[in-house]
Amino acid sequence: MTHTFQRPTERYLSVERRPVDGACPECGAEELAEYRVLSDGGWFDVRKCQACLCSVSREPAPPFGSYVPLGLQIAKDAGG
Amino acid sequence: MLGVDVGGTFTDVVSVRDGRVEVTKVPSDPADPAAPVVEGARRLGLEGQPVFNHASTMGLNAVITRTLPKVAFLTTEGHRDILDRGRIWRPPVRQSDPSWRRSFGDAARPLVPRYLRRGVCERLLADGSVHLPLDEEQARRQLAVLKRCAVEGVAICLLNAYVDAAHERRLRELTHEVLGDEVAVSISSETSPLAKEYARASTTVIDVFMKLIFTGYAHRLAEGLGEAGFAGELNFADCAATLLPWSEALEKPFRIVHAGPAAGTMSSARLGEALGERNLVCCDVGGTSTDVSLVVDGQPFVDNTFELEHDLIINALSTEISSVGAGGGSIVSISSSGDVLVGPASAGSDPGPACYGRGGTQPTVTDAALLMGILDPEAFAAGALRLDEELARRAFESLETPLGFEQRVGFAFRIAVANIAEEVTNVVLRRGGDPRDFTLIAYGAAGPMLLPAALDLLHVGRVVIPPHPGNFSALGLLSTDLVYYDSRSAYVPLFPESAPQIAAVFEEMERGLRARAGQDGEVRRSFDGRLFGQSWETPFVQVPDGPITAETIPELVERFHQAYERRYGNRFPYVPVQGVSYRVELRVPSEKVEFAPLEAGGEATPTRTIELRRLGSGPLEAAEYDRDSLPPGARIAGPAVIREGLATTLIVPGQTAEVGRLGELLIERENAGV
Repeated sequence: MTHTFQRPTERYLSVERRPVDGACPECGAEELAEYRVLSDGGWFDVRKCQACLCSVSREPAPPFGSYVPLGLQIAKDAGG
Repeated sequence: MLGVDVGGTFTDVVSVRDGRVEVTKVPSDPADPAAPVVEGARRLGLEGQPVFNHASTMGLNAVITRTLPKVAFLTTEGHRDILDRGRIWRPPVRQSDPSWRRSFGDAARPLVPRYLRRGVCERLLADGSVHLPLDEEQARRQLAVLKRCAVEGVAICLLNAYVDAAHERRLRELTHEVLGDEVAVSISSETSPLAKEYARASTTVIDVFMKLIFTGYAHRLAEGLGEAGFAGELNFADCAATLLPWSEALEKPFRIVHAGPAAGTMSSARLGEALGERNLVCCDVGGTSTDVSLVVDGQPFVDNTFELEHDLIINALSTEISSVGAGGGSIVSISSSGDVLVGPASAGSDPGPACYGRGGTQPTVTDAALLMGILDPEAFAAGALRLDEELARRAFESLETPLGFEQRVGFAFRIAVANIAEEVTNVVLRRGGDPRDFTLIAYGAAGPMLLPAALDLLHVGRVVIPPHPGNFSALGLLSTDLVYYDSRSAYVPLFPESAPQIAAVFEEMERGLRARAGQDGEVRRSFDGRLFGQSWETPFVQVPDGPITAETIPELVERFHQAYERRYGNRFPYVPVQGVSYRVELRVPSEKVEFAPLEAGGEATPTRTIELRRLGSGPLEAAEYDRDSLPPGARIAGPAVIREGLATTLIVPGQTAEVGRLGELLIERENAGV
């Protein structure tokens, strides 16, 4: 297991926004997407309208986002 | 004259006709708040009444509980989170708490959700020049989003718009074009054209909320009162308990977001004027808390902002009121280290103190007063409620402490008195006053019972119990003038050559106020200034009457240094002074309650002798008096108890009370003046 990261190959880094079905309860646009955001309260998995940016749902994500601390990774690899 | 105070639970209506005070209470109705007001006014009679003055906590309650209409916030692109940042002030107790979050923030309870805070491409510089013109196409796109979201109101606050309103005015036109004429819009350059973006932005947002909350209500109220036969003036009280006609109130409704507590200060100032007392500590002791405010040199101590909740401020003149959680309903408890604590938790009115017999089991200050013999169980609240001494006894017995019963009760009363005395002292000292120069006005249902006992701790000159202490705050609504005010910002150094610019700012505001008022009145001018290099202002520097010329400027500078020295204790006469904000108040006299002198003569005759317990080392015999039968000039030596419908006054040993010519009780130490 490596503790270093590969150099990114993409020119720009971005979070993948996965389109989901449904209409925004605020503006009615059918442009909802799910993705992870980092805000003042920490990481959140959100479902947001791409037209008005209203948050339709907002659930706390793992405290370190996509980063998995070594201890947890070892436990995970060990099937814990 | 009629005054009404619309609270969250009850609507209190007070009427003064031919010097006679009448009061009625109607349950408030959140679904139709105007109906109880009209109902209460009908009960007391509306015909022939010249004025109806209205105060309410509806606006503040809506903000605190976030039961608000859907409103959007438009600002310069890149600055939409200005409402979250606030002034970045932490409460003192949270200075070292990393988990603290500002409640106004996106993460908690925003007044305007983030998706409704939209940036508009434009930029004015601080001197008013256009750095980026308003991008109307981009603005229309943002407004189209707001239209789809069906917002009811829009607050517009662009950077530096207090210098030039052109972009905000154009944006308001576009808003009406896209969202329709019925949508409520406030722009900061008209609502509060002052420097400092955050206070200007939050004031504008609150203004839109209040437009939506009060416009329909005020029209329904005016209509209802008219149908009930009222043909006088309908006025609304603001955060400083000054009045403004209801049509004017709806022009800038942020001013009326909260009114009520300040009315007690107004009432005190009015009584002080009648008594010739110019420095007052106003102390309103209710069931839950004690509100303390100051009147200095005849004027209530006013602040240039009002804080609705932590770091949520608006640019409204407000009476500075400090509260401490000590009142008649304050709960007595034992700390983990065994100390007797009083408050800040309160039993409120439901279930209320244990002795009310409504299910309360924790002891309170009222229970202590009952067990000490100060309160009459048969005559509480004008006989509306019978107090149960046995329940009060059981509540105190339930405390887990090795202290004896006598000590529990006596300590609870004395600690409540000491808590209030501490807050009163803090308020006076914080404002640079010497308590010995002040007279304490004690009102609220529990004020006359607790505050005379605090006289020895306070070192104030004397305690005055006004006539009708239980309704004294409501009377404040009938003790004040109509006040129109306006303010502007301009960063101008106070040099002789700046005089024309400063004069023009004041003249423009005065002209505007006279046009709005439609009549003349007393004009008061003041400015907020600072020493060059400072980032904060010294507010309310009084401006002399007459034209402002190059010759007037040195006097303005000297007055600034005097105000600075009064506030901070030092002066820097060699540092130039910069004017920041300028303020004009136009006061139009309104009909007020009169404290009529009573006929002097006669002696105070006690109704009976009672026993006071746990006040000193042993039981004390005390004379009991009926306040309504006390003639002016009568003197009563403590210990004594004076009863009236909604209050009980306790005169402790070593004090004397004299009935003043207006029916007020003047309480002093027996050796006062020695």
